[in-house]
Amino acid sequence: MISVNKLFKTYGKKTVVSDVGAHFPAHKLTSLIGPNGAGKTSLLMMIARLLEPTHGDIFLNGNSIFNIRPADYAKKVATLRQAPGFNLRLTVSELVAFGRFPYSRGVLTTEDYRVIDEAIEFLSLGTLRDAYLDEISGGQRQMAFLAMTIAQQTDCLLLDEPLNNLDIKHAVQIMSALRRLCDEQGRTVILVVHDLNFAANYSDHIVAMKEGRVHYSGSVENVVKKNCLQDLYELNFRIARSEQGYLCNYFKPSGELK
Amino acid sequence: MRLIGSAVAKYMIWVAAIALALTFLFLHSGLDFDYIIPKRFSRLIAMIIGGVCIAWSAIIFQTLTGNRILTPAIMGYEAVYLLFQSLLILLMGTKSLTVLGENSNFVLSIILMLSYSWSVHRWLFFDGRNNVYFLLLTGLVLTVVISTFTQFIQFRVSPGEFSVLLGYSQASFATVGAVQLLISAAAVIMVCLLGYRSFPELDVISLGREHAISLGIDYQHTVRLHFALIAILVAVSTSLLGPTAFMGVFVANMAYALARNYRHRAVLPTGCAIAVVIFILAQLAVEHIFNYRTTVGILVNLVCGVWFLILMVRTRGTV
Repeated sequence: MISVNKLFKTYGKKTVVSDVGAHFPAHKLTSLIGPNGAGKTSLLMMIARLLEPTHGDIFLNGNSIFNIRPADYAKKVATLRQAPGFNLRLTVSELVAFGRFPYSRGVLTTEDYRVIDEAIEFLSLGTLRDAYLDEISGGQRQMAFLAMTIAQQTDCLLLDEPLNNLDIKHAVQIMSALRRLCDEQGRTVILVVHDLNFAANYSDHIVAMKEGRVHYSGSVENVVKKNCLQDLYELNFRIARSEQGYLCNYFKPSGELK
Repeated sequence: MRLIGSAVAKYMIWVAAIALALTFLFLHSGLDFDYIIPKRFSRLIAMIIGGVCIAWSAIIFQTLTGNRILTPAIMGYEAVYLLFQSLLILLMGTKSLTVLGENSNFVLSIILMLSYSWSVHRWLFFDGRNNVYFLLLTGLVLTVVISTFTQFIQFRVSPGEFSVLLGYSQASFATVGAVQLLISAAAVIMVCLLGYRSFPELDVISLGREHAISLGIDYQHTVRLHFALIAILVAVSTSLLGPTAFMGVFVANMAYALARNYRHRAVLPTGCAIAVVIFILAQLAVEHIFNYRTTVGILVNLVCGVWFLILMVRTRGTV
């Protein structure tokens, strides 16, 4: 379980994360939602140790993460940012193999190859394993990066807007893969997501941020409510709940907002 | 087919390197083992040391900066070297050649470049910004500023002194003493031993900072270590041969094209072989075709440019 206590991040006079305290329950899928500039990504990057907090503590199973060596942390927490460009010409399986680096430091064992195959299989990327990353679609590339993160075999996965720029089919594929990681493998998944409907239908837990602070946090039923979301986004919401899940409608704001 | 092709290409470069080295040693030598061949042998060693320095520093510099069109020259090491040589000429005239002697000039140049890089790294890395692009920008600005000082001095010296300076600003193997070779070899071997162990880390760093940290690399530590090793290599090669400017860009990109592999374990040795081949080709041409009427530096850029263009056309830009 990851918990955050009195966390601050400031750039000069600008505070992007302000006095944030939050719990991210183990073996659950937690979505970080909120408007742009709410500090969601900053919070996630601090948990990933990609960004240094100005002040405050982050705990993994009760231990401060700053006392864990980087090489050990990579066996506990894996991070996926929006797929960046790099100069290497890699195939999908070569990329996934990088996920084994924390264990094998570059020399792959048969166990590593088994885990790599499993990760590729888990996301049904078998037909793409020898394709070059720059020759496949954006959605497939995002899946390949996710496979690398899965091959890292960490208890916790952090994902920064994994659905960015994806079509609805790939978005559903990624979200159901994350759901299965929690349900079948008991992993903890924390992601920043902008699509409220995905957050509402696939998460167990939601942390909603606004202006650098946690506004609401709790189970999906407690956060995906008309007044909470209206307050968060300053938009008019209509939330329909059915057997298939939630449908948050905010596309045509009708009526006045208080 | 591609696999066979790449295997052939990989061994070709080593065969070419060895064949050229033997040609260089024995061509028109009259098998004179007393004077000609030992002289040529020491130049060959200088080329190998220089080749390793240039290939290694350029390839790893490109990995750390995530950019395929840079060489460490952008950090201003060579500018510091040229300013130092210009200052010597300005203060002591051509006498400086004899007053200081080749060996002390060599050692002083190395110490100067190392202290320059040490202070730049210290200033920028401990600033907390830890931003590679900021480092590059500062390096570039310093290069321009230092070069301007050098130009200022060059306008003040006499034409005779200027021609001596011109000699320093072009890569050359004409004057390399045994002491310089020993010091350089020791430094290069030390760097190789230190750097060799972190090839897998460098492979991960080429994925970018965030992936590297996420995969458990102690990013700051590794990047600082390798910038320091690069500084040593550049200091050695510049003091030994003179500035090579952008030869590293060609060497690194050709190494990636020939090795057809992203791993440093494969790319770095190929790069070293390529750099040595280029040096020997240029030196052979200088000695046997142009009869010393041109310099290695000029020919290197010519050979590199043509070879690189051919590679680009043949691989259709997938370099």
